[in-house]
Formats: sequence, C-alpha cells, structure tokens
Amino acid sequence: MSFLKIAWFEYRRRIRSKWFILATFGMPLLILGVSLGAGYMAGSGAGIDTKHYVLIDETHRYGPQLVQQLDQRYAEDEAPPLDLALMTGSYIDLHHLLDTLVLDRSLDGYFVIPPDFDSSATLRLYARASSNLRMADVVESASQDILVQSRALDLDLTAAELEALFVNVDVDFFNSGSDEKTENEELLAEYMTPFAFMILLFFGIFTGGQLLLRAVLEERSSRVIEVLLSTVSYNDLMAGKILGLGLLGLTQSVIYLLVGSLAGSHFGLSLITPSIAGLYLVYFALGYLLYAGIYIGTGALFDSEQEAQQAIQIISLVAVVPMLLWSVVIESPNSLLVNVLTYIPLVTPFFMMVKISMGETTLFQIIATVLLMSVSVYGSIRLAAKIFKTGILLYGKRITLPEIWKWIRA
Amino acid sequence: MIELRSISKSFDSIIAVKDLSITVRAGRICGFLGPNGAGKTTTLRMLMNIIRPDTGEILFDGSKARPESFRVGYLPEERGLYQKITVLETLQYFAGLRNVPDPDTQIKHQLKRFDLDARMHSKVSELSKGNQQKLQFINTILHNPDYIVLDEPFSGLDPVNQLILKEVLEDMKRQGKTIIFSSHQMDQVERICDDVALIDTGQLVLAGDLKEIKAKHGSLHLEVSPESVAELNHPYFQTPDIEIRGGSAFIPLANRDRQSLIQEINAVCQIRAVKVAEPGLEELFIQQVKGRTA
Repeated sequence: MSFLKIAWFEYRRRIRSKWFILATFGMPLLILGVSLGAGYMAGSGAGIDTKHYVLIDETHRYGPQLVQQLDQRYAEDEAPPLDLALMTGSYIDLHHLLDTLVLDRSLDGYFVIPPDFDSSATLRLYARASSNLRMADVVESASQDILVQSRALDLDLTAAELEALFVNVDVDFFNSGSDEKTENEELLAEYMTPFAFMILLFFGIFTGGQLLLRAVLEERSSRVIEVLLSTVSYNDLMAGKILGLGLLGLTQSVIYLLVGSLAGSHFGLSLITPSIAGLYLVYFALGYLLYAGIYIGTGALFDSEQEAQQAIQIISLVAVVPMLLWSVVIESPNSLLVNVLTYIPLVTPFFMMVKISMGETTLFQIIATVLLMSVSVYGSIRLAAKIFKTGILLYGKRITLPEIWKWIRA
Repeated sequence: MIELRSISKSFDSIIAVKDLSITVRAGRICGFLGPNGAGKTTTLRMLMNIIRPDTGEILFDGSKARPESFRVGYLPEERGLYQKITVLETLQYFAGLRNVPDPDTQIKHQLKRFDLDARMHSKVSELSKGNQQKLQFINTILHNPDYIVLDEPFSGLDPVNQLILKEVLEDMKRQGKTIIFSSHQMDQVERICDDVALIDTGQLVLAGDLKEIKAKHGSLHLEVSPESVAELNHPYFQTPDIEIRGGSAFIPLANRDRQSLIQEINAVCQIRAVKVAEPGLEELFIQQVKGRTA
C-alpha cells in the first residue's frame, strides 16, 4: 500500500502550498476581475476608437437625416464609435481630396449616397481596410430605416401610422412545463454554465497534470527518485503520484462546484444538479488520468522543466480546441463536427461536459464516451509506465523517438 | 552477505559494467573503488534494483529474492532530498514508506546523534551541504537496515562529521550489518574498510581483504624525514620511484637491505627519523588503474 502513502504525501504537501491556494481561489477571482474590468472598460468607452467618416449625399435628400439618426443613436455614448460628417459636393469633385485624407489616415473612409439611391438602395464606401465592415453595417442599417421611412411617407402615411409600422418584436422565454417567464439573467447564466464547466474541467485537469510534470522533474533532478525507487516499486511510485495529485485537482473541482452551486442557489438558480456534478467528477477523473499518463511520461523523458514544457505544449494545444469551437458547440451541440470531436479522447471530457450541462446528450453517448475514455486511460497509463520505468533514470541523454518506441515495445 | 555474480549492463553500445563479480561479507565494510566513469554508480543502482542487469545475478544472503525495502538502506551519490519540505517531514515520509516502528522516537534519536535536532523544522533547502548529507545519511539508516549501500557518503562532510559517520558505520558493522560504499577518499576507505573492490571500465581489477591486497600488491616503503626539508631537493631523491610528501621521502624497499639503504641515504642527508611504511591505498589505486591503461 506504499502508493497510498505516496499519494497522501503528494496531496498533503501541495494542498497547503501558497501556489495551490492562489490557483484555487485566485484564478476564478482573476477571471471574474478581468471580465468585469473588460466590461467596465467597454462601457466607459475606453476600449472604443472613434472612426471618422465623411458622407457625400448626391441625392441632396437623405444625408442630413442619416447623420441625425446616427447622432441620436450615439448621443448617450461617451465615446461614439462612429463620427459621420456630411460634406456638400459630388463624388467627382471631392474624391481626390478625400482619397488623400484616407491614405494619410486623417480619415477612415467616406460614404457616397448615389443619385439613384431611391431605386438601387445601395451606398458606396471608400476606405482602406476591412476594419470598416462593422461601420458599413451600422450605416447600412440606418440608411435602410431612412429609405423605408421615405417610401412610407411617399405613400402618404401619417406619422402615427408610420410609427405603427416600426415595431420591435420580443421573445419571452419559458421553460417547458412552466408558466413562469425566464429572466434574462437566468438565460445568461444558463448560456454561460456549459462554458464554465469546460473551463473548470480544463483548469482541473491541467493543474493536476502540470503538478505531476513538476513533481516528476523535481524528483528526477534532485535524485530523490533513486531513494524512492530503492524503497518502492515503479508502479507504486507512479500510481501514488497520479492519485495524490489527482485528488488535489478533485479537491479544487469540488470547491468550484460548491461555490458555483451556492452562488447559483443564492440567485435562485439550480444550474449544478447532483447528476451533472457526478458526471463532471467522472469526466474529470477520466480526463485527468488520460493526461496524467501523458504528463508523467513526458516528465520522465526530460531533464529540464523548460524542455518538458515545450514538449507538452503541443498536447495542451489540442485541449484548447473545444474552447476555440465554443460558439459552434453552443449553437449546434449535436452537429456532425461536434459529435465526431466528442469521440476524440483528448477532448471528449470537454465536449461531453458542455453537452451534458446543456442537456444535449444521450445515455448511449455517456456510456460510449466513458468506455472510450477508460480504454484510452488504460493505454495512456500503460505507455507512461513503460516510458517512466526506462526514461526516469537516464540523465543528460537526449532521447529519440525510435528509443521510446523500443521501450514501448519491450 | 551480498553477492554480485557476473553482472553486466550496457546502455545502447556503451558497456557500463562487464562480467562483474563481487562478494560483500556480512559484518564487514567493503570499499567500492574506481576512477570516474568506472561503473560504480551503475553497479550500486543494480544492487538496489533501480536498474536491472542485462546478465548475471545478485544474491542477498544466498537468495535471489530481493530483500524487503525496509532491510536495505541506500544513499545515492547526489543529494536525494526534497528541497521544499522540512527535515522532519522528509524523515517522516520515508519512515512511513519503510514502515519504521515508532518513527518519531527514531527520528529524534538520529537527529540528536548527528547534531541536527535543532534544525528539525528547517526546510531542507536552508541546510548547508554538509547538513544535507547528514540528513541523507540518517534517511538511509533510519529503518535500521541489514544491508547498507552508500554512494560517496563522505562527500561534503567536514572532518568532525566524517568522524561521526565513521563511528556510526563501525557501530553498524559491529551489529553485523553488511555495508558497501563507494568513495574517492582513499584515506577514509583505508581507515574504515575491511575489504575493497576496485573496478575500472566496468570490470573488476582486484577485490578482497584490504590488508591482504596491500601485502600482495603493494610494496613496503622506507619513510625518511631529514633534519631539513631542503635536503629533499638533493638529486638522490629526484627519481620517479621516490615520492616526496609531507616533509618526508617514501623510498620503495623492494628487495633491498634496509640497513644498507639507510646508510646510502645518510650519505646525502641528515636523517631525523626513519620508519617502514605500508603501501597507501591511493598509491595502489593509481598503480592498478595506470597499469591497466598503460
């Protein structure tokens, strides 16, 4: 039972460390702080760079209205994203001057309302780069409103009739079987929960993995490994480390789940149900064990942390894929792409937790992915054990892939 | 008793140990010697089952079965210690792994013995090199093992602590423990060991009882101390087979008559003291290793 003693040692010495306390409580606070800070900055206008445009109105009709509408739209903004100035004259007369201003960056671009705007319903934008696309959308939308208003007036509609034509349609959300309207905050929380689960899982798994890598490198470089291996077997040592640091990651996850659950219930939301929490722990354990094999195997191959970290970065990049595809997963959790990716063991836990927390999975998918992960974990740990056993005592030697292959086959 | 029987170990194309056979007798201390890269550490690691020999076998008291970890104590060449935990935590962890009965009492006793009790709650990284070596040694013997394998145990220790370590090893020898240690410090080996095993390029050069080896392979010297050290500059002493050391000249006796040799020396200097000296282990070591490479 030496591995239990090793596990307890690894767990105990790290749970009391400043690093763990900082990572467990500091990281969520940091993320929250950054999000709130970014939100504040966006709201205060600090993140906005006002774009300056000129408008040439060759219809001599719509220009003032368009400028007025946009001014009204951004009247309450401290830093409006768009500043549109109406210029009298035609494109032919002005374009040389305006092109020069655009090229020397005194102006971001200029819009032209052509004489046939009534029939063509098309504006022209002269600018430097694609960063103007968003502004083009804004001007396009405002111009559309003006054109519609103009056509409505041509039909001799009264102001009241005209106003009645422009209605905003809202959709109220209700949970099926409930007559109570779902509030926007609740919707937002439901929308963000799958993402939170993904991030949580990512942190939990990679915190444990990184600690494992460091623990192996520390023992390897300080030669503690020799004393340990003269006392316990390779398998006990590896199992103890994986278990101890896995429990550490699990502790972190339980803290996050409890905090999330308490915060949810404070706002009357039950986002983390016992079954979701249970499945989270299952996928955490499987994901951690899979990556533990990779991390411990890598740690046994390198003398320095820098080299080991470089090697592990490639694997970590794979795990970032679910985050990069976040919007696809949330929009289409059962699309072919997401379903295929769900069965790639390195990213299975992340995709599954998103789908589970959205209620977009089946029992079959849960059983199948758990089985797939279990087989992958077995393979990963077995390979890691072979690499660990041979590589851990090879100091100062650059190990080649054919050599690793030889150890694996041995 | 520990027996290494025809063990060999290669790393790819490099032969680290070749057909090596050594016997370490119970209740004796065996010095394991060899130049750098001779294969000492690899041999000790095989002894500890950290790495497996390609061929050959290792027997403990005649059995191929490896003794339980609590019966073996191993001190690696470099410090095998966690730097960020305390002295007490280090010893508690390893005592736990080796199932040491009443570990706290044992730990306190050994810390006191090595004058480390005041540093019990210090982090290992805060200890001096010598104190880390002492901690390492305590960790090796804390579980009172029957077989003790030490790789350079005197490294980093001052003379006072070297003496403490020597006394502890002799004490363990009296208790019938089987001890093998590698060292570059020939004077320590000479003072402590009953037996020696010398290896070079992974192969055994000589092994056996230290006194017998010295008698067999080394020659007696005449240690001559003149009245004035300056007299050692006389051309008589400037020959390759005469060693000048510590104000004395060491002249090989070979088969020469002692009296006629003393008269010969007396003719070139004024002798203050003269005595017959045994061959030193260092000299023997250099002679054997150079003899192989020549």
